Amino acid sequence: MTDQLGALTTIFTEFYYWITVVLMFLIHVGFCMYEVGASRYKHHQHTLMKNTMLIPLVTVTWFLFGWWIYWAFPTGPGIAPSIMNESTALITDETLFSAMWQVPTSDIMAVNLGDHINGVFWAAFLLFSWTAASIVSGAIIERITTFAFGILAIAIGSVFWTIDAAWGWHFDGWMLKILGYHDAYASGVIHAIAGGFALGVLMVLGPRIGKFSSSGEPRNIGPRNPWLVTIGLFLIYTGFWGFYAACNIPIFDLGPEYGMEGISYWTATNIYVTPTTLSGITFNFLMSLSGGLLAGYWIAKGDPFWTYSSGLAGIICASAGNDLYHPIQSMIIGMIGVVLSYKLHYWVERKFKIDDAVGAVAVHGYAGFIGLVICGFVLNGYPSSGYSVGAMWDGTTYASINPLGMFLGAIIMFFVLGLIPGYIIAKVLHGMGKLRIPREAEIAGLDYEMMETAKSDEKAVASATR
Amino acid sequence: MATVTNWIDHLNKPAEEVAGAIYPGAGSSEGLLVILAIIIWIGWHVLTAKSESDELERLARKRHGPNDHKSNITDW
Repeated sequence: MTDQLGALTTIFTEFYYWITVVLMFLIHVGFCMYEVGASRYKHHQHTLMKNTMLIPLVTVTWFLFGWWIYWAFPTGPGIAPSIMNESTALITDETLFSAMWQVPTSDIMAVNLGDHINGVFWAAFLLFSWTAASIVSGAIIERITTFAFGILAIAIGSVFWTIDAAWGWHFDGWMLKILGYHDAYASGVIHAIAGGFALGVLMVLGPRIGKFSSSGEPRNIGPRNPWLVTIGLFLIYTGFWGFYAACNIPIFDLGPEYGMEGISYWTATNIYVTPTTLSGITFNFLMSLSGGLLAGYWIAKGDPFWTYSSGLAGIICASAGNDLYHPIQSMIIGMIGVVLSYKLHYWVERKFKIDDAVGAVAVHGYAGFIGLVICGFVLNGYPSSGYSVGAMWDGTTYASINPLGMFLGAIIMFFVLGLIPGYIIAKVLHGMGKLRIPREAEIAGLDYEMMETAKSDEKAVASATR
Repeated sequence: MATVTNWIDHLNKPAEEVAGAIYPGAGSSEGLLVILAIIIWIGWHVLTAKSESDELERLARKRHGPNDHKSNITDW
């Protein structure tokens, strides 16, 4: 960096992403509080540890191979050619945005005076990975082994979500070109996939003991600590601001990027490098949160657990198009998503005996899926990319956003990359006898021995005289 | 191991040489570090999986009731 303006732009961008990472850390704090608040006393500490340990498990694998997948897989491979090298193979050549530079032995995966962006961008994506794994974590509390959860967390956090991000959340992704897929703030690429993955695991894992009566009627195992749930969800809302900011590129000159000779246009862009504003998405974030809360309060008859979760579901449902929606559109979309997700949750619970302990499949999976489908109608005809506009199925150009493409995109996110892999991996772990804790341990409580030790320590201290 | 031993000398180099990795062992140690990370990684999984299985088996053998934990709730 030898000129001051270039240095300012670079260091501003570096600092911008760094701040988003710090803010997004609050999502994880929120998930930990939320899960502990929702679990029963005798499982608290194990529940907390399970969600905490996904941090190192996903981080190390994200460093070793997760980040590489994101940069290597935009073409499928074999589905649509890259705009960088016109090949449909994995992008591992020497072009600027190649996966070749994103291997753990690369010198830009470390302190490098020639690169100020890779680490913070890597970390922003990593925090998305934690979120994906955390979504799954909540649904399966009180009966999964920590070992199995670790494997599942790595699978969703460092493999499947990063494949979907390469396909549908990368300026060169094949889903933009073939389908006209658009998902600016990750209704599908984080939420629908994680919700679908959680559902696949739940299908194999089964319900908590006592969740269903002998006649199959579901029983409510309510949150033990509503305050912890409340603060947890408010922290997730707070962290979501960082999530939204991290999905943008803060300052970019689109003129040369789009090949427009002599034109310079500096703007913030979304992840697809098309223009939006931080100001505009702030309107939409808050209006979709409000829509979710309004609808949740109504449909759940003031139940706090569902009302808070609905705020989140409102944002998630509107997120696919929140770079372009009008704020009132965002609010209404958030409301629709919440009502449908709430109804679906209870229908699936009764019909298929699925015990989703925190409603994660509904709040993230169903709301994300519905958000993608609605986005296809509301943003029908918008370009999915600034580089070129073409027709669906062509592959060498970018299709416009359309209802069919978005519906197919939702299927890919929820089922193909979410539910099916989650189900298969859980089946394998179940076959190994490693998925579920023993029945007796579940009844006693995972924290039984810790609590017993603490009680005996307490007695010893109480009887001490010096 | 040191990649930079004098900042004035380093920053006086041509710009393309300044803009590069500065961690210890740059250009020679990366492969070894990755192998080390993978060994630690696999080892951690083996150790913790075994300890969790042992803990769960021990707890299951005792066959506690669903409310037995309540007698262990501490007051501190």
